Amino acid sequence: MTKNLKYSLILFSICAVCAFALALTNSVTAPVIVQLDLEKKNKALEAVSAGYTFGEQEMVEGNKYVTYSIDLTENNELMGYIVGLQSAGYGGQMTLVASYALSGKMLAAQLLNHGETPGLGAKAAQASYMDKFKGTGSERAVPTSKDMLSDSDAQSVSGASVTFTAVGKAIDAGSAYVKALGGTK
Amino acid sequence: MNKGSKELTKGFFKENPIFVLMLGLCPVLGVSTQVSNAIGMSAGVLFVLLFSNIIISGLRHVIPPSIHIPAYIVVIATLVTITEMVMHAFVPAVYSALGVYLPLIVVNCIILGRAEAFASKNTIVDSILDALGMAIGFALGLTLIALIRELFGSGTITLFPMGDFSGVINIPWFYDNPIRVLSLAPGALLIMGFLKAFFDWNSSRKKDR
Repeated sequence: MTKNLKYSLILFSICAVCAFALALTNSVTAPVIVQLDLEKKNKALEAVSAGYTFGEQEMVEGNKYVTYSIDLTENNELMGYIVGLQSAGYGGQMTLVASYALSGKMLAAQLLNHGETPGLGAKAAQASYMDKFKGTGSERAVPTSKDMLSDSDAQSVSGASVTFTAVGKAIDAGSAYVKALGGTK
Repeated sequence: MNKGSKELTKGFFKENPIFVLMLGLCPVLGVSTQVSNAIGMSAGVLFVLLFSNIIISGLRHVIPPSIHIPAYIVVIATLVTITEMVMHAFVPAVYSALGVYLPLIVVNCIILGRAEAFASKNTIVDSILDALGMAIGFALGLTLIALIRELFGSGTITLFPMGDFSGVINIPWFYDNPIRVLSLAPGALLIMGFLKAFFDWNSSRKKDR
């Protein structure tokens, strides 16, 4: 009994010191991480806005892939939307932003957060990765499987099909959402 | 060679954690696609191994044998979480590149293996030397595999972007004639196998002398 109590106290002390060290580190790093995430998101919105002015973020409820939308305007005329997307990749939840013309054609996209495998699925974070989807969603269907790509593009996503399908499905869902809006809200 | 130098250098080649002890192979196979990933992972392992060895060696007379594994795991998990938070905040590029492999340092056998086999039985100074030697040996092995895989598999060497430098060096000829399989999962196993065979051949040759 005394031995068990002693062991419990030792483990409790180690856990308490560790919890304190974690809390201290978190208090230093958490504000920096929040600021970095915000800067990253603003940079991504700027990058995918295709030169249009973007407005306020409006939350979208009840859509598996679309989490929010932002109007894209030029001289107060609605030109398209930026859509916040989420999808389940190989390494868990991934979030991205994509911009669309009113027809549902994808203009640009960028991966924000992901847990994909370095060197394989994580290549989706590279700017060139999204070129495979650029211009799709209207006349051309959004590629959601490797079979819909050219040989060289299919080769470049080799070993990371789950990531590619997850990104493709999210972009396709974003296109469908924009088409459903029909140019008006 | 004195004892301190022996503790430090044994991890480089003689007891290299990857090719001789065969410890921590999961992240080795997973992150060795790019040289920058190997360097980032090595830095994470160095930090966690060094501090876990120091703490566990310091507490070796306090932690009873029957609860040593949960105690070590709590210490190691705390150090890994601290590494993860610091990298996320201050080196986000490395944090993103390492992805899921960073939290997996918790279950990297090198860390628990050295805590159990060395730090729990030796002084803090010896444990520091052991951690440094093992971490350098791990870094050498991992970077070598990553260099071979990236050079032959993609024709590039990826370092960290700085100023105008994008971080990616394209190597002529290799870039135009990549052996793609080496950058995929089977490539990691192939290179690992060839290097392990080389290390075994080299150590048996030395024994025969």
